[in-house]
Amino acid sequence: MVGPLLKGLKITFSHLFKPAFTVKYPYEKIEVAPRWRGKHVLRVDEEGREKCCYCGLCEAVCPANAIRIYGEEAPLEKSDVGKIAVIYEIDYRRCIFCGYCEEACPRGAIELTTFYELAEPEREKLLQTKETLLEKR
Amino acid sequence: MVMWIAVTVVKLLIYFAILMLFVAYGTLAERKVAGHIQDRLGPYHCGPHGVLQPLADGLKLFFKEDIVASEADKFLYFLAPALAVVPPLLVLGIIPIGESITIAGKTIPLPIANINVAVLYFLGVTSLSVYAIMLGGWSGNSKYPLLGGLRSAAQFISYELVLGLSIIGVVMLVGSFNLVDIVKYQKDMWLFIKQPVAFVAYMVAAIAELNRAPFDLPEAESELVGGYHTEYSSMKFALFFLGEYANMVVSSAIATALFLGGWYAPCSFLSFIPGPVWFLLKTFALFFFMLWIRWTYPRLRYDQLMGMCWKYLIPITLFNILGTGLVVILKAGGV
Repeated sequence: MVGPLLKGLKITFSHLFKPAFTVKYPYEKIEVAPRWRGKHVLRVDEEGREKCCYCGLCEAVCPANAIRIYGEEAPLEKSDVGKIAVIYEIDYRRCIFCGYCEEACPRGAIELTTFYELAEPEREKLLQTKETLLEKR
Repeated sequence: MVMWIAVTVVKLLIYFAILMLFVAYGTLAERKVAGHIQDRLGPYHCGPHGVLQPLADGLKLFFKEDIVASEADKFLYFLAPALAVVPPLLVLGIIPIGESITIAGKTIPLPIANINVAVLYFLGVTSLSVYAIMLGGWSGNSKYPLLGGLRSAAQFISYELVLGLSIIGVVMLVGSFNLVDIVKYQKDMWLFIKQPVAFVAYMVAAIAELNRAPFDLPEAESELVGGYHTEYSSMKFALFFLGEYANMVVSSAIATALFLGGWYAPCSFLSFIPGPVWFLLKTFALFFFMLWIRWTYPRLRYDQLMGMCWKYLIPITLFNILGTGLVVILKAGGV
């Protein structure tokens, strides 16, 4: 009866000196997989024009109704097909990071990045507009 | 006379400060040991390696909302947390941390009260702490704390017997209830070599009395929410915690005096280190042992707990008393 008890003590004592698995999160970060589904980005083409042509497929496919999109006609220097999304909002209070918007997009205009630190002190700030979503060139 | 009172007050303050420091860093040690045993780090953020964590915890508990259960028996509800802290502080008075020191030509005895019934006083005072748990469980007027309190009462009464019986072996060998005499008796050989059974029984009973895992049925989280302190919050909750850790420290200190040679160094060539340092080191070793036990063993079932006490520990300690008595009589020259 005493033998197993001592064995248990030995095991826990040996673990006292083993290196910890803890990642000290705010100071250290784990590298996420390249396919990680994090914050969205709206891509632009080589000439700096937005790829999005306001087809509305992402809004239609979004199962959480997190995307609001509204578009208008635009000159060719702003869009190669003559249409552009004037309003593009993603509500991160609703988004479930399923990635359907990326799958549905015919022009590769919206992609999910590996950025995952989306916490905000105010809920309103989670409603993100084109200003923060658009790819910076 | 005035001098004597002043010295005693100073000693009280110093010992109280040591105990509180021990308790504060005991909580940190608990979390650090738990963390490292589970291959984690434990508290890490406050100060280097989390050394300021106890201060942060204390501050947090002070500023938390103090909720009083509306159906509670107010008087007992407020009395119980205070009762939890008082017994270990009372025991503090008899702990023989060293023999005496000489300051400015005057010899000052180090124990606050060198009384000749110290062991009985210890047993009597520590058994008071069951009231804190029972009243705390009862007064909240809620079912889980009540169950925790009742379990605690049964557990406490059973293990109090083992605690007393295990100490009797020591008392028989030394022939005194005075803790200073008991420590002096161990100058050449520590008593846990002569009384190994009593030492093990004492440690088991002490852990059971402190409601520590694997005997923490009064606060079994998985079945009783928080146990007896479910209805407490803020500083009242902290007092229960303080009481538990202070009790751990005090029990370890008494075990050090009874079995581990008190302030004496383990080998004579190490005796240049002052006695109180040895005493605190040994106390901390036993304290660590309690943490180690907690993070190793799973919780016992309630009937196993009671069975272990009445079926095994009490007969074993009784036989230990018989054997010790035989040896004492034979050594004294036979019947």
